[in-house]
Formats: sequence, C-alpha cells, structure tokens
Amino acid sequence: MNELIYNLAVWLDDTQWSTMLHESYYMYNWVESTHVLTLMLSLGMLFLIDLRMLGLALPDVPASRLAERLNAPMLLGFAMMFITGILLFYAVPVRTSQSLWFRIKMVLLLACAVNAFLFHKRMSESVSTWDIEPKAPGRIRFGAMLSLAFWSIVVVCGRFIAYDWFDCDTSPNTLIDIVSGCVDGQTRF
Amino acid sequence: MADESKSKNRGALKRKDDQTAALIVAQAFIVFSAIYWFMQIESVRELLQLAYG
Amino acid sequence: MFVSMFTSYPRTLVVVAALVMMLVLIYGGITEAVYPMLLSVFEWLETTWFGVIGKTWGAAFAFVEAVHLLGLALLGGCVLAGDGRLLGLVLTDVPVNTVVERTHRVFVYGLVICLATGIFMACGVATKIYYLSVYWFKMLALSAGILFHFQIRKPLLSHDIHALNPVVVKMVGVASILVWFMVAATGRWIGFSG
Repeated sequence: MNELIYNLAVWLDDTQWSTMLHESYYMYNWVESTHVLTLMLSLGMLFLIDLRMLGLALPDVPASRLAERLNAPMLLGFAMMFITGILLFYAVPVRTSQSLWFRIKMVLLLACAVNAFLFHKRMSESVSTWDIEPKAPGRIRFGAMLSLAFWSIVVVCGRFIAYDWFDCDTSPNTLIDIVSGCVDGQTRF
Repeated sequence: MADESKSKNRGALKRKDDQTAALIVAQAFIVFSAIYWFMQIESVRELLQLAYG
Repeated sequence: MFVSMFTSYPRTLVVVAALVMMLVLIYGGITEAVYPMLLSVFEWLETTWFGVIGKTWGAAFAFVEAVHLLGLALLGGCVLAGDGRLLGLVLTDVPVNTVVERTHRVFVYGLVICLATGIFMACGVATKIYYLSVYWFKMLALSAGILFHFQIRKPLLSHDIHALNPVVVKMVGVASILVWFMVAATGRWIGFSG
C-alpha cells in the first residue's frame, strides 16, 4: 500500500507542473494563502452552525434555518479548500504523502465526513421538535462537539505538515516511520 | 410631549452622525484597499515580467 | 456654528481627525522617528516567557499558530455571516439586526483568541517581524479593523437598520470584509517573509 502511494507520489512529482508549482514563490504561496484564508468561509460557517447547536451562537435563530442557509457558503468554502489542498499536495507529493500529520489529517477528514452525514441525518429526523430551542438535544450536541473537535485537530495537523519533526529522514522513531509510510527515507522530496 | 420630540430628534441626529462617520471610514477603506491591492498585483506582475520577460 | 456642529456630529469629527492624524503620522516623519526606539521593545519581547517558549519550543509555537487559525476561522465566519447579511447574500430570511448582534458576540470570542495567540507568536519572532513591513501593515490593518468594528460598525448597526441609508449599510459591509481580509492576508504573508 505504502509502495503504491509512494509510486503514485513519485509519478506526480515527475510531472512538469508539480515542479513549476513547487518552485514558484508567488503561485505556491497564493495557493497556500487561499487554502488558509478560505478557513474563514468553510470552518467559519461550520463553527457557527455547531456553536448554534450547543446554544453558544445565534440561539434565537431557528437551528434548521441557520444550518440550511449557511450550508451553501460552507460547501463553497470546502470546495475551494479541496481544490487548493489538492494543488498543495500536487506541488510536494512525495514528502506530503509520507507525512505523519498529513495521514492523520486525511483519516480525520473521513471521520468529519461520516460525522457530518450522521449529524445531518439525525438533525433532519428530529429538528421539528427542537428547532427554536436555544440548545439542540444531547445527541445532536454530541455530534456538534465531535465536529468542532475533529476540525480543530484537522487544522492543527494541517499546520504541522509544514514542520519537519517527523519527516522520514529526521525521525529516528520506527513506529512513526511505519505510520508515516516511509519508503525511501525521503531521498526524493 | 416636548421631551419626547426632543429625544426623538436627538436619536435622529445621532443616527445621522453615526451614518456620516461610517460613510467616511467605509469609503476610505474601500478606496485604500482598491489602491493597495492594485499596487500589490501590479508590482508582482512587473517583477515576474522582469524575471521571465 | 462650530460648537453646534461639534455637538451634533461628534463621531464624524473624531473620525475625520483620526484619518488626518494617521496621514500626519505616516507622512509627517513621526513613524521614522519612533521606529528605531521600538527595537528595544521587540528585543525585550523575545526575553519574556512567551518569547522564550515561542523561540525554543517549536511544537508549542506551531500549536499556537493552529489555534490562531481556528480563531481566524471563527472571526472570519462571523464577519462573513454578519456582513453577508448586510449585503443581502446570506440568511436573508433572518432579521438583519438579529444576525448582526448575535454574530458580533461570537466575533468577540474569535478576536480574543486571535489576539491572545497573536501576542504569543509575536513574542517568539519579535526581532524578525520588527523588520517586516508586512507585519506593521498587518498591525495597522488590525487596529483599523478593531476601531472600525467597535466604534463605527457596532454603533451604526445598533440603530434600526431599516431606518439607515441602504448604500451606507452595504458600504460598511464591504469595508468590514475588506479590512478583515486585509488583516488575514497580510498575516499569512508574515509567514512567507523574512
């Protein structure tokens, strides 16, 4: 599996556009900045929805209405994050695919998606009974807390990718090397 | 009666003041941002032109 | 005449005076005079506890950076939702005063998170950012943003928004988004500079 990911990353790395993007000071930084600044749109809306469920934000706005109305800008934000995120991966594929933080982030993103699906399902099933209450029922609140926690760790992991503490060539810890899927000790960057 | 119209008048005056202040600052920010971002983009464009022709 | 204008338009006059003072500060040679004196302050910042931790413990610094980003997301979300409502782009079926007031409260949480983590980060890299014009630009934008938010936007929107001139309301929405975008963008650029 790690070999497969590695070979794919090397193949991506060999493409001309990957090198160009990696080496372009402005283009790379603009893509990176867009990725970071779009947090305000994607996570900003998500946080407002989750905090609403916990009774901490906009408690007098019906929960379903807030979630529904902020859904479109949130998804627009996530779409932009996804596109810029793929570009960032494409610019530095070998190192990123062997990054501990990147791998944790990807797993957590899956967890976020599952949680969002369940959250949405539970909400649409029961919302009519508590829509105008300042706080959602316990199960929904738990989903909102999970969402806040998962996304916060995603941001932390995303920020940590930039640091080289556990890069394959620097980390002496074999367990971390295994989780990071180190193949070549990062002779390819 | 006179008090009521006086406070109403004061409220309207305050609103007018807040509105004028907001108008001045908002247009200053908008104009400044337009100039700033235009200059930023222009300087990068020129730099890239110098580097790659 | 002057006295009556002062009593009728106090906020407007303060705003004009502040704008003029800023121009004097920037173009009157005052910033050049003060700038060298600030170096010792920034050198001192690095010797504080925050500065020592930020400089020597990389993981703590990176973690605080991430929390700074989470604060930014919260702050930005409130700005986009509140100003988006002023511009008629989101939450159009929720009363505008409700959206503005409620998002303001959460905005304050976001701002507090950003300021607290921002001060910590600034201490850790104080002698680096001192020399970066983009850092000073961010501080200028941040001060402008905070003053604008609390002294202009909030008092204006505490009136019945329907009684206000819609063009002014929309301009305030655009200006607010622009200024916070400026703060975030210049902030991100600090990391790429130096």
